[in-house]
Amino acid sequence: MDSVPELKRLHHVVTSTAVRYWLPWLLLLFAGCGVFELHPYEVRGGEQNLNVRALERLPRDTHEGSFRFAVMGDIGVFLKEAKDAMEDVARRDVDFVVQLGDLTEFSSAQEYDWVARLFDDVPVPALAVIGNHDLLGTGPQLFRHHFGSEYLTFDFGGSRFVLFDSNSREYGYPGDVPDLDRLRAELIAPPCGGHLFTFSHVPPWHSDFDPSLRGPFEHLQAERNVAVSFHGHLHRFGSDAIEGVRYVVTDALELRRYLVVTVAGPTVHVEQVSY
Amino acid sequence: MMRSGFVGGVLVAWLLVGLASRAEPRAHEAPWYVPDHAALQFAGSIGMLAAGPGWAFLDEQVDVQALLGWAPRAVAGADFVTLTLKAQWHPFLITHRDWRIRPLTVGAAFSYTFGDRYFLKLPDRYDSGYYWFTTALRPMIFLGGSVGHSLPGVGAPILEGYYELVATDYRLVQFVQNPGTVNTGLFSLALGARLRF
Repeated sequence: MDSVPELKRLHHVVTSTAVRYWLPWLLLLFAGCGVFELHPYEVRGGEQNLNVRALERLPRDTHEGSFRFAVMGDIGVFLKEAKDAMEDVARRDVDFVVQLGDLTEFSSAQEYDWVARLFDDVPVPALAVIGNHDLLGTGPQLFRHHFGSEYLTFDFGGSRFVLFDSNSREYGYPGDVPDLDRLRAELIAPPCGGHLFTFSHVPPWHSDFDPSLRGPFEHLQAERNVAVSFHGHLHRFGSDAIEGVRYVVTDALELRRYLVVTVAGPTVHVEQVSY
Repeated sequence: MMRSGFVGGVLVAWLLVGLASRAEPRAHEAPWYVPDHAALQFAGSIGMLAAGPGWAFLDEQVDVQALLGWAPRAVAGADFVTLTLKAQWHPFLITHRDWRIRPLTVGAAFSYTFGDRYFLKLPDRYDSGYYWFTTALRPMIFLGGSVGHSLPGVGAPILEGYYELVATDYRLVQFVQNPGTVNTGLFSLALGARLRF
């Protein structure tokens, strides 16, 4: 009769021992693997400061005045196509890639993590612009955490590249998105007489771009002699000239097409490539 | 924050009412609104910790819970307060001595996140249909299981440990769209404990 409670006690001891010894380690293992999600919009861990890290990888003082770069459109729910594009880009002999926003569909931490990992795997430096879908919830915080500032300027091969936030509607048209003062300061003649390129998600003629800033923005770009202004958001390729500045809208990656831009001295050639 | 604090207070009060009236452990004797279990959960997209009352139906085959969740800024980068309604179905029950094992749990939940930066209805700055989803209310489905053991004491309550593999809407959408690419991210793990009194 005594053996039953004895067995029970033994069972208890075995269980609590197992819990005490294994559960904390198991939890730590899972936590380390990112198996736990505390909230859809949590900001923690993963790849960080990717735009800054991409710039650090960008070779300096080479290809003076002659180089190639790729421009990619919206990713959204087209992660597979984005992955293929990033693999294809390695075969195109480009120096770097600029992606034009909508990295995610929901701005969720998990999607940010997927694209951040994808960007980190690209063989050439890859930079991202912020899109309207990337600004939901804690999206601005997530973008800064994984990629860095929404405004980024760098020089390469004698040309100057300016990435900025043009998602005016997301902020309720506050009058400083895009921040024209900041752009005016950045859009100065490139140091070695090269070209000026600008990149943002929403093109100026779209209703998601602050209509009161459209005119001033287009004048500024014309005044500074911007070579090409690249945008996404519309998901379909389009090209236009406004006040002498060329505006190009890229296809979303679902169409398995992106742009390769070849700069050779004074000429700039924009080509659509399929993969 | 005021509103979420109030909701939390109500839930805790509800739970305490349930505990007090459970001195006589007869589920069917208590009025319907008195919970018959309480749950505490770690992770699962509804906060770092979420807790709340629950009700069992159909001989404990079906559970419904209301959980108030919280994730602190220090860990999650921002403070998150959520309210989650959760329904689970455990079709099988295996009993062995004092152990009660439910090898399969399937369920669904809706989680609401409090705060101005999440929307339930599209804000005025958007045209209707601009976004097809809401950022405040998240549907999710899950699979899991639990192991329970009775505790000695008045009414011999049962303590259950459970795990759930949670698939939220954004994970499901990406998985359906890119099954090969997103092969590790369909589920996140939740661990929890339920006390049936």
